[in-house]
Amino acid sequence: MGTPSSLDTSGHELRPLPPAHGVTTSSSTLVWLRAREWSASVWVWAVIAAPSEAVEAVVRGCVVVGVGVSQDIADTREPFQPRQSLPSIVSIVQRQQPLGLWYARDVLASEHLLCFRLSMSPRPPGDLNPRRDPALDFPDKDLSEMSFEDYERLGFLGGLEVHQQLSTEGKLFCRCPAGRRVTNVDAEVLRHMRPTLSELGEYDQCALMEFKTRKEIVYLLDRKTVCTYEIDDTPPFPVDLAAVKIGLQIGRLFGLNLASELHVMRKQYLDGSIPTGFQRTGMLGLTGEIPFRVPELGIDRKLRIRQFSLEEDSCREVSDVGHRITFRTDRLGTPLTEVVTEPDLKTPWEIQAAGRLIARVARTTKKVCRGPGAARQDVNVSVAGSRRIELKGVGHHRRLPQLTHIEAFRQLNLLRVREELRKRGIDAPPVPEGRPFAWTSSPLVIEAGALVKRSDYAPLKDALDRGDTVVAVRLPGFAGLLGRRTQPGITFAREFSERVRVIACLTDRPFFIHSDVRDYGLGPAEWRALHSALEAEEEDAIIVVWGPSGDADTASREILIRAQEAHEGVPSETRQAYLDGTSGFERMLPGPDRMYPDTDTPPLPIRDEWLAEIEASLPELPWDREDRYVKLGLSLLEASELAAAPWADLFDEMEVADKRVARRLAHAFRKRLPHHARQGRMALPYPDRVKPLVRDLESGTIRLEACDVVLDEIMERTSVPGSELLAPFRRTTQSSKTLDALIDETVKAAAALSNRPKDVLIRWAMGKVMPSLLGQVDPSEVAKKLETALASFFKKGAA
Amino acid sequence: MSKDFYKGYREPCLSLMKKNEVTVWCELIAKTTRGDFHGLLLPRSETADPEHLVLKLDSGYNIGIRHDTVLSLEKVGYREANYKIPEKEFPVDPEKPRVRLFGTGGTIASRLDYRTGAVIPAFSPGELYGSVPELADICNLDTEKLFGVFSENMGPEQYLILADRVGEAIRDGYDGVIIGHGTDTMHHTSAALSFMVQNPPVPIVMVGSQRSSDRPSSDAAQNLINACHAAAHGEIAEVMVCMFGPTSDRYNLLHRGTRVRKMHSSYRSTFRTLGDIPLAMVENGVITPIDDKYATRRLDREVDVQPAFEEKVTIVYYYPGMLPDVIDALVDKGYKGIVIAGTGLGHVNRKIYPALERASAAGVALYMTLQTMWGFVQMYVYETGREILELGVIPLANMIPDVAYVKLGWSLGVHPNDLEAVRKLMTTPISGDMTDREPHDGYLVLQGGIPEVQDFFTGVWK
Ligand SMILES: [Zn+2]
Repeated sequence: MGTPSSLDTSGHELRPLPPAHGVTTSSSTLVWLRAREWSASVWVWAVIAAPSEAVEAVVRGCVVVGVGVSQDIADTREPFQPRQSLPSIVSIVQRQQPLGLWYARDVLASEHLLCFRLSMSPRPPGDLNPRRDPALDFPDKDLSEMSFEDYERLGFLGGLEVHQQLSTEGKLFCRCPAGRRVTNVDAEVLRHMRPTLSELGEYDQCALMEFKTRKEIVYLLDRKTVCTYEIDDTPPFPVDLAAVKIGLQIGRLFGLNLASELHVMRKQYLDGSIPTGFQRTGMLGLTGEIPFRVPELGIDRKLRIRQFSLEEDSCREVSDVGHRITFRTDRLGTPLTEVVTEPDLKTPWEIQAAGRLIARVARTTKKVCRGPGAARQDVNVSVAGSRRIELKGVGHHRRLPQLTHIEAFRQLNLLRVREELRKRGIDAPPVPEGRPFAWTSSPLVIEAGALVKRSDYAPLKDALDRGDTVVAVRLPGFAGLLGRRTQPGITFAREFSERVRVIACLTDRPFFIHSDVRDYGLGPAEWRALHSALEAEEEDAIIVVWGPSGDADTASREILIRAQEAHEGVPSETRQAYLDGTSGFERMLPGPDRMYPDTDTPPLPIRDEWLAEIEASLPELPWDREDRYVKLGLSLLEASELAAAPWADLFDEMEVADKRVARRLAHAFRKRLPHHARQGRMALPYPDRVKPLVRDLESGTIRLEACDVVLDEIMERTSVPGSELLAPFRRTTQSSKTLDALIDETVKAAAALSNRPKDVLIRWAMGKVMPSLLGQVDPSEVAKKLETALASFFKKGAA
Repeated sequence: MSKDFYKGYREPCLSLMKKNEVTVWCELIAKTTRGDFHGLLLPRSETADPEHLVLKLDSGYNIGIRHDTVLSLEKVGYREANYKIPEKEFPVDPEKPRVRLFGTGGTIASRLDYRTGAVIPAFSPGELYGSVPELADICNLDTEKLFGVFSENMGPEQYLILADRVGEAIRDGYDGVIIGHGTDTMHHTSAALSFMVQNPPVPIVMVGSQRSSDRPSSDAAQNLINACHAAAHGEIAEVMVCMFGPTSDRYNLLHRGTRVRKMHSSYRSTFRTLGDIPLAMVENGVITPIDDKYATRRLDREVDVQPAFEEKVTIVYYYPGMLPDVIDALVDKGYKGIVIAGTGLGHVNRKIYPALERASAAGVALYMTLQTMWGFVQMYVYETGREILELGVIPLANMIPDVAYVKLGWSLGVHPNDLEAVRKLMTTPISGDMTDREPHDGYLVLQGGIPEVQDFFTGVWK
């Protein structure tokens, strides 16, 4: 009998199939080949001895795409065709028919093998960066020093999940009012979240982590904003149709394929942010694209949208201390849309631009909430060799570039740590599973209270006084790595302490010290004692952690789990974005099993009439608006700036037809309005005060040069009537007379300056003449006239 | 292997599927007038409309596609999963008490079919251990599935079997009995067991869940764990209901089987003891009695099992416009017992007196309870009450109407042709179905919105 190892494995690692994802066969010769890392295009060969095992394969989620039999497995490399025969193969497998249909029955009757080519999807594709070659020698740089090419070398890829609250009367699944922020508390409810079993009968790793934290979750209730639905004591009411319709409208603006029936799903969250333990969410549309034009970044392509869903917003976190996390529930249940882009964004600035564009598209409906917390984004980042990391809850687009830049380098630095571990030839440490404590079941962990009891390190002394358990964990081969920089001002050790803080709920900082730190903390004698007690080698690192014994136990196991993950490179995590651009561990990235149908809510048909209604009243889209401005004479850059500006509607209200006026006005708005806003004046002028100016500009009554100054007057002298403001700038029959008189006067005054260079003289003279005639006369005409007058004056004087 | 390849689909989707040679569990690309969709074709719920196909997308979302938007369906794969609760061997510890768990159909532990949303019950000890491993720290658990019915389908037929099997378990030496039950009619079954299994030497604990255990916020695990504590270690040897005290995940209450009622359609803290205080609290394995009068655990195996039930018994919920023919119809249909849920202290309109008189004369057992739920029937205070008594209607003190219904069915079952014996049984308190006094806090429905009640809620978990 052939063995699977005779399969062509060039370029692949041969590994046993993990039981959860594979098929156990009678011959237990099932293998899976994986390219260095999993990708969607990798096929897996499984050797299966009997048809029933093939059925099992199908049942376990494998797609059989080829089948064959042979005396020698090596002959069956490309045994059968293939895709077009797939349905028949599957049906044969299902019916467990003899395989003689393909090959001679007598061949099959003996001990020969049947070979299936299986496609498997243990992880959703797209989790790993497609490039597997980390730019390990790339120097650490600041965002400002980076070029587009630099990010290309890093293999930087980003994607966005933009959450936008919709402006509706009520919440999505109950009839409480939406969009009210309160601080009143009428009552409190305490809950726990217990992980549920996944599809494969296992606990989701994210779920398990949340459970490890053994958190008490407290919800603060206010009678006016929350009913028994939000706290999961009443089943959902029918979904809010207004929200569905706004959602459909936004989906249409993104050019999505819209669902014809909305299915409400439950997406599990065990962090407590939703009292049910899951978020109700429904898919409205898939696969769309919008024009992505950012002239200042040289971008002119499409932004691909992967999916768009309508969901209920979660609670606002009030505090998270130790084993208790507290949430306010007013926001809970507010309708929220989520736009997910494809991970196509290639620099941090593109991510920012995409975020802004998506927000603008949603805002064109004028049915979305504005203000703090109304729009939030999660951003996914990976670099070559790493996997998708989710940074959560970024409130402001301007924070995106720095945040994603720092994350890219954090990942690169973790890959460098992995490389160093590989160079050192270190194996990942085992994680103790024994009870009752990690230190009773693993040689890598000791209870170290006695060894450090004479330490003069104050936090540790306090801990011992409190009766904390002190534990030392040996990390084989990690010496020197914990002190490596991963983010600005943050070392690799933080990866461990964040985990411990979140998972073991240790709060009395510091709770943790490690052997790469020598300038404070434990003394050399104590480290020596710990080294020898742990039988640590020179190249090992030690982490000392303290807390209540149960938490110290969780902490020491978690430290070893994180050390194991260091060998993998970048662990799948959801990270919390901090204001300084760095991020911290929040939780494990949930697996694909967290979504299941909401049996409390019937599917909602999406009616053609609704779509027709939406189609009939589509708002103008940002890119259409840009095109309109370009037609009005603006450059693409000016057009895109104007379309995105808060004064775009004001501009449109002016109904400018003249191209020169349009450009001038756009320019004046962009230059002057932000200035006035900074001065604390009203952000935008009343349209009726600007309109006469525009009409005068168009008719030529006021010349274009005066535009900025007149606008300033309108903004500054709010109590003066518009006509009075405009009067001094209007060309009148007197204008040329006044000009002549002024020129005369100026030329006479110039006598004292006769020794100055000519251009200085002209500039001085213009400064004398122009201010009172701004808007009335053409400055170049004035300059010419002045030049002539001055020339003749000095000629006369000289004569 | 016979399978339904079109599970849940009707015309016109059925023809569409056949025409395109796809079945449920096919992975396919649907080209539609609203764009292309890639996903796995799921079975359709029987109650959903026939117009849509349901796809499971790679993201885990389901999406519906209307048949008339479909241009083509291209099959690209086939994936079907079967779901099992992980079965781990329940560890046996000879030091720990033995508890018998009967299943009636309500799901105590379960997990979800992630594609269809169907709940798969966990029931065998191995399955229960797989999903609630804490149970093994409490007791040795044996399980037996008696029925597979929803709560609302539990009835007299099941009461009789259940009573017999509980009796057997007690005689077999179990240290406690747990009955997993849907919550809707749990208090009917608890009343039935209270009458049919009297003076048990060990705890008989009924338990269920208000939120199914496939959700992280479920009350199921805490209920089951606390029920196990009460059954294995508790000193109270009565028929009890073990469900959430407050809606917060804090403690369970043990309610006496004859005084408990489900009071809210969906709240976790839906079960309440009426007209008295609960027997005990159970929190983190500690059982704290609240009431000091209860039957205590005994070492003997004596138990008085009397399974019997007359089905021709009903409750008439009185309302002001009630016409006498309602009662006449019941008599005509051969009903043997009627429990009236009267107004106030136990009253009905004079208009139906003649009908009651006829019923009484026809040998129908007539009993009076209160639709107020709380308080005592007192028919001597007003003339109407006295008149009704004269018609042969017998007052049942503070017996809850649902309990009175169960008790009358049981009494008539035990004494089919002896109205006097039935009257004796009915008017003699059994397992607290009637009490001689109501403590001041036996009636406690706090009124929301009142400042002092609000103050109270700042100090407790709701
Ligand atoms: Zn509500």
